[in-house]
Amino acid sequence: MAALLALERLDKRYGAVHAVADVSLAFEAGRLHAVVGENGAGKSTLLKMAAGVVVPDAGEVVIDGVRLDQHTAREAIARGIGMVQQHFALVGVLSALDNVMLGAEPVRALGRLDVERARARAVAVAREMGVSLPWEAPVETLGVGDRQRLEIVRTLVREARVVILDEPTAVLTPGEAAALYTTLRRLADAGRAVVVVTHHLDEVRDHADTVSVIRRGKLVSSRPMNRRDGEAMAALTRDIMGEGPPPRLERRARQLGEVQLELRDVRRGRALRGVTLRVRAGEIVGVAGVEGNGQRELVRVLAGLEPVDGGVVQAGPVAVVHEDRHAEGLVLAASVRDNLVLGELARFARLGMVDGAALEREARGRLERARVVPPDLDAPAAALSGGNQQKIVVARAVARAERGARVLVLAQPTRGVDLGAARAIHAEIAAAAEAGRAVLLVSADLGELRTLCDRILVMARGRIVTELPPDAPDARIGEAMLGGDAAPGAEARP
Amino acid sequence: MIERLRGATTATVAGVAAGWLALALLVWAYGEAPAAIAGQLLSGTWGMPYGIGQVLYKATPLLLTGVAVELALRAGLFNIGAEGQLAVAGLAVATLGAHLPRGTPAWLALPAVLAIAPLAGAAWAVVPAILRARFGAHEVISTIMMNRIADAAVGLALARGLAIPGTVRTPDVVPGARLPRLEALGLTSLHGSAVSFALPLAVVVAALAAVWLARSRVGREVVLVGLSPTACAAERIPVARRLAAALVLSGAVAGLAAVAPVLGYKGYFESGLGAGAGFGGIAVALLGRGHPVGLVLSALLFGTLEQGGLVINARVPMEVTTVLQGVIIVAVALADARVRAALLGRGRAR
Repeated sequence: MAALLALERLDKRYGAVHAVADVSLAFEAGRLHAVVGENGAGKSTLLKMAAGVVVPDAGEVVIDGVRLDQHTAREAIARGIGMVQQHFALVGVLSALDNVMLGAEPVRALGRLDVERARARAVAVAREMGVSLPWEAPVETLGVGDRQRLEIVRTLVREARVVILDEPTAVLTPGEAAALYTTLRRLADAGRAVVVVTHHLDEVRDHADTVSVIRRGKLVSSRPMNRRDGEAMAALTRDIMGEGPPPRLERRARQLGEVQLELRDVRRGRALRGVTLRVRAGEIVGVAGVEGNGQRELVRVLAGLEPVDGGVVQAGPVAVVHEDRHAEGLVLAASVRDNLVLGELARFARLGMVDGAALEREARGRLERARVVPPDLDAPAAALSGGNQQKIVVARAVARAERGARVLVLAQPTRGVDLGAARAIHAEIAAAAEAGRAVLLVSADLGELRTLCDRILVMARGRIVTELPPDAPDARIGEAMLGGDAAPGAEARP
Repeated sequence: MIERLRGATTATVAGVAAGWLALALLVWAYGEAPAAIAGQLLSGTWGMPYGIGQVLYKATPLLLTGVAVELALRAGLFNIGAEGQLAVAGLAVATLGAHLPRGTPAWLALPAVLAIAPLAGAAWAVVPAILRARFGAHEVISTIMMNRIADAAVGLALARGLAIPGTVRTPDVVPGARLPRLEALGLTSLHGSAVSFALPLAVVVAALAAVWLARSRVGREVVLVGLSPTACAAERIPVARRLAAALVLSGAVAGLAAVAPVLGYKGYFESGLGAGAGFGGIAVALLGRGHPVGLVLSALLFGTLEQGGLVINARVPMEVTTVLQGVIIVAVALADARVRAALLGRGRAR
């Protein structure tokens, strides 16, 4: 069947980041097409270009054989492309019907609103979707599932033939997610192209007709889902995580000591549903899993940034490398010097004043050890490459681990980092473990986990579902990531 | 760094130039020769000792409120409340100064009145600081609110006993609590102008504030929090406490600004004394571009315009200099990323 929507050689850069690199994809009428990949792989940027929200640097968006030429949301909507964003764009105090009409109000003579026509249209669309909505209720009184249905109604009222949804199940309960896919299937059956961005492989397995994998801005694979067995899913996992040769690292035997980090049945909202794990001194324990299964919350709990709702966390002082180095790891506008010792000024203060010379020595030492190039303490962190930025964040955490923190927690420590920097960071992690730290490594990169870890815990739906040796076959790990024990449909996150 | 400085200077120069152009147009519209009026403005301020003294007098509270606003801006906060903090401090200073025993020597009286000013200003900033730190309430709203409350509270306090009955002014402070005028140094040519030892005090405070931000632990953390609260929170810097500290310190410095008119000039507080310096401080901080020397120059510029307005008032309305100030503020504020961030960007910064 001919493609309803075709993306042709789309390309987009944000500064030094090549967010989408020469990606071509076709979405066919009547099919449910899943787009998967790590966070930051470029999925959202790609689909925002399709919806006219982001203007591509190069390439074409072609619908029904005709290309978009203005790349505005208005144009995309007029041409039948509708997108439901991850964060809903609804006006809380207005009624559901008002929200549907907003920006596309049917009018009678002299510009009077034709509310009846709008209602009839909305009701018809909802019936086609197989849902009903309280049209007069203010949106802020609606549940998240209803809000999402409302967003879909909005796109359909505007006669969207391509419906794009960015991580639609992230906010839904399993029941709601199952209902959503029923609705999406009806839309596809009615001749529309449905595109879903998701992190949940079980959704892909259970609902998608086609799946495309994006990694580091590039299209890795695009294939029909005519096999849904473990082997096919393992291949998909490999596509998402990448295989390639794992970075070289000489493994040295380490002495395991006492348990330094222990979690027992830790619960937090819907994200952590009873996490139990232990890490001993000198041990590197990996946490694998498709993103959005509680890893982020696990790290935030360990960092003390979020309380737990239940369970026990036993840990000495913890040093943390957060997942998002731009938001949480660095003060981008501040100097490399300030970033290398961020949060440690108390150590350098005498009578409230910072001892500049001592701070300088410490920062210089960390900088040299991290081999940041150029070794300029005065440069703003924003001016550095991603690899060098990450070296700074890791150097800070490792230094803190050496100065008394017994536990080192790292989340995606080499994401978006070049191979050389990644190897340097791996060496630092291994050295910290050799020095007797308990290391918990959360990563979406299987190669990294295999290289470094003594054990790999697989996390799914807010639980540690299994523990595997680092040389377990891909298929075993992929299967575990599907979270064997849970019901079909997506897991909800707060 | 150099790049940033150049950008800042360009915006400032362009803003000032645009302001003078607006002034020229207005003067011309009033049927006067712009060049002649500008000449009169300059000769009436920097062209004679009394004029210089008056410019320095007007610049003194502006420098302090400018430092106050700058301290908050560094934390990413916009303190619009210097106006109210100054008024409350003025009343507190004058009241304490008037109630000291008549013969209190200066070495005892001056430290007391100089201490009460920042304390009162800080106290007035505590409410917005708590609202911001505990509940995330936007400080622009709460400081404006506190300005209105200060207006009413000061008026009420004057009416209910702090003022001399039948007037809106407090009794005179005791002689020992007066800040000597600079002419006491033998600068007799300043004769008659109100510039006092509050000026060197203000310059010292501006320098101390810069040192505090660059060298002290809390000051440096305030700056880092202003740049990225998320990253600071992740590294366990107490973000809310740092924000509160910046706002309270800002209030303290704004309160100190009250000593120039109260102790250096009038010797008492009256309704409206020092009014306008709080808002003027916002302009001074924006134009000062985060550098103590910039703040001094900027305070001098606005002091010149205030005094210059009085000089040319006979030929054109003094408000034309207000227009000039307004144009400069708008131009520079638009170019100042910190203003945009404080007013608009917080939501986006998560």
